[in-house]
Amino acid sequence: MRKTITVILLIISVLVPFMAFDVLPVIGDPQSAPNTHVSDYYIENAIEECNSPNMVTAVIVDYRAFDTMFETTVMFLAGLSVVIILANKPKRRIPAHSSLRRMKDAGGRPIYKTVNKDVMISVIEPVILIYAIYVLFHGEVSLGGGFQAGALIGMTYLLDIMVVKRDRPIFDIPKARAAAIAGFGPLIYALTGIVTILGGGLYLEYNKIPLPIHHAELHSIGITAVEIGVTIGVAGTIITILNALMERISFDDDND
Amino acid sequence: MIENIPVLIVLLPLCSALLCLALTAVSRNLGIFAVKLSCLASFVLSCIQLQMVVTGGTIHYAIGNYAAPYGIEFVIDSLNAVLLVCFSLMGFLTILFAENFGNEKRPMLVGAACAETALLITGILGMTSTGDVFNLYVFLEITSLSAYCLISLGGSRGVVSAYRYMLVGTVAATLYLLGIGVLYSVTGTLNMGDMREILDQGGYDGAMLTAMCFLIPAFGIKMALFPFHGWQPSAYTHAEPGSRPLITGVMGKVPALAMFRFVYCIYGTDFRFVRIGLILLGIFSVFGMLYGSLMAMGQTDIRKILAYSSVAQMGYISLGFAIGTPIALAGAFLHMLGHVFMKGGLFFCTGAIRYKFGTVDINEFGRIYKKMPLTCGLLTAAALSMIGIPPTAGFFSKWYLALGAAGQHEWIYIIILVISSLLNAVYFFRLIEKVFIRQSSELRTRWESEVLELPLTIIIPVVICFIAIFGLGLFNVRIVDILLMTLEGVGL
Amino acid sequence: MMTMINTFLATKGIYFLTLVLLALGVAGIIVCNNYMKKLICMNVMQVAVIFFFLCLGQKSPGTIPVAMDTAVKASQYINPLPHGLMLTAIVVSLGTTGVGLSLLLRIREKYGTIEEDDLIRREDLMTRKNKDGGDRK
Repeated sequence: MRKTITVILLIISVLVPFMAFDVLPVIGDPQSAPNTHVSDYYIENAIEECNSPNMVTAVIVDYRAFDTMFETTVMFLAGLSVVIILANKPKRRIPAHSSLRRMKDAGGRPIYKTVNKDVMISVIEPVILIYAIYVLFHGEVSLGGGFQAGALIGMTYLLDIMVVKRDRPIFDIPKARAAAIAGFGPLIYALTGIVTILGGGLYLEYNKIPLPIHHAELHSIGITAVEIGVTIGVAGTIITILNALMERISFDDDND
Repeated sequence: MIENIPVLIVLLPLCSALLCLALTAVSRNLGIFAVKLSCLASFVLSCIQLQMVVTGGTIHYAIGNYAAPYGIEFVIDSLNAVLLVCFSLMGFLTILFAENFGNEKRPMLVGAACAETALLITGILGMTSTGDVFNLYVFLEITSLSAYCLISLGGSRGVVSAYRYMLVGTVAATLYLLGIGVLYSVTGTLNMGDMREILDQGGYDGAMLTAMCFLIPAFGIKMALFPFHGWQPSAYTHAEPGSRPLITGVMGKVPALAMFRFVYCIYGTDFRFVRIGLILLGIFSVFGMLYGSLMAMGQTDIRKILAYSSVAQMGYISLGFAIGTPIALAGAFLHMLGHVFMKGGLFFCTGAIRYKFGTVDINEFGRIYKKMPLTCGLLTAAALSMIGIPPTAGFFSKWYLALGAAGQHEWIYIIILVISSLLNAVYFFRLIEKVFIRQSSELRTRWESEVLELPLTIIIPVVICFIAIFGLGLFNVRIVDILLMTLEGVGL
Repeated sequence: MMTMINTFLATKGIYFLTLVLLALGVAGIIVCNNYMKKLICMNVMQVAVIFFFLCLGQKSPGTIPVAMDTAVKASQYINPLPHGLMLTAIVVSLGTTGVGLSLLLRIREKYGTIEEDDLIRREDLMTRKNKDGGDRK
């Protein structure tokens, strides 16, 4: 039964191209519809309107900033969901499979004993953090942005967990707290929009931030503010998920 | 300030959801209070917005002040405005209702579940307002992710059904993305209005047909239309009891609205293959109406009965889309509005009975009306409305559907409509019989009070749903007039 | 015939590859018995759509969309929009995968298996046990 379905699907996937591919544009055609209509406007006006030479950043956090706000919210939502789902653990533990137990024994020393933690904490982590901040504030000019910076900060926390023994971590952030922190990221983003409303503009209209400077500068400030929000959101989410996976607590909601 | 109402309606629940955990850490009820307040505010704002739309016509709100095809746009026509009022009201009621079902010992978990519900409301309101196809995808994902989480909160069965829903739902979202990818590849825009203008120039029939092949299954899965409904009964049955009215009542309706937008607002009725699509939709809905009603007759768990009946009710809504005249579309949307309160109300009742007696098996409901008169009043009203007895909302929506079908000479649809209503009557009268006539059974009361049958936060949703079911029926002419302001321009 | 195939591969070939990837994903979700494999197939499917969008952003003489100087001509740079959109789609698929994995963890801890047919058997067993328990009460 299942094999038949597969075969049918594969046959369809071979046949469809000859019917449907006529409608799609030729690869790399500069005159195709996606490459002309809206895209030209973005490329030609990004520098002037958004003060951002990186056009992808201009599209993400200025022209379509509203999407990105909810994208950050999706990150927060994922972290929150993982916390909630893993908040309950089973009353009876299922015994681990025997092969797994053997693997644990064969694994040798735990990782925090094999890595030199002084080098890790005092040399590598500061470099990563500085790079994260560079990526964050340089995102509108060259490649980079809030997501990458947030991921780098999250990685620093991951390194900490890996090199330091579990019961004595350097930064101890309980997972519900971490989720609350992750919530502040999208909130900063949303409040940037509220500020523009208070300045008399529409939502996320960076020109109307009530500060007495040139409009290009205002766009920079707006973009930086939302990028900081994205960074906090992503970093908080990564820390939340790590914590939630590491400390599993009780599973006692099975009363249905 | 007044021109920012469309975006504020979506933003208020979002901000409160983001703050909810931090506020809960400060004080255990503050977070939930903030969410309640924001949902109430967004309901009030949507009422003001409805007033504005009725007097001033469609609102276009360009976010970031970038004109339509370049930025993201919210489009509020009379249809959206009415649905927003209904959905935000239901969201507020659910938040009120949900606080009775949390785990008292773990306030952070209660706060987190409340934040999830608020994000679900955000996603639903955003999907209703937006005029941009990719923005719709983002909101769709917010809605589904929070729904997966809320379903998984209902114990281990809930986790399994949430996982199944997640697999199917992600396939649907991916198909949707593929569909808009095909449309984007020929039009080069993501804005709905702009897309319509470009597609109207003609010559895009192949691309539109390809996109439709992806979009109809995508929305079908999300709204649990008949052949794609596999995930729905177990997910609705095992969802977390507090947020279940929202999940069952509203979550399936928004993809239906999105489907309407694609079929009638973006493609338009002069699309060459529109007939094929509508006939396909009609076949799906006819079988769905029969199948859902027949399956519901065989169940004894009240949650399962209602879940299967939802499959049938989604069939009525898509039947309205399949007929396609303005009157039939108005009937479909009236049914959508009514069904939000009927199904939501029935799940409020289920939750209330479960809260008081701890049972969901209808065989144990003997003469429950003596102990819970208000709840049973709503149960009866909603059941009568489901069957379609005047003057409830269900009768008028079916009446408009039948009028539309008669206008198009689609007699088979009318026959199926009547048969399905009779089948509804069979299992809902069985429910009413259990509640009123059967031998009274010994049920242990879990919640005692001298004055009220239930806590106030359960009574308010129950009473408002009761009023809404009759209100929608009695004022149907006015509502249909408002709906027709938009629908006149798009129907067949 | 050969020239036809050649032009097809040069102009539309990459769509064909993304479609094969998509079909593999869908087939995997239907055919695989293991929930973890289903999750992986789901990811394959999402990646296929991401590739599809990125194909649309391609432009022959264009380079990456970061302006080198102030005078900008639209033909010099590739389309930035699909890249922005797909950043969102990637984050969404990341979130979905995270939620899916944590759900799988719970399923594994409760039922001790993530094979679909095993799971259905155990669920039935549980339902029957619950019913028996209810009768005894």
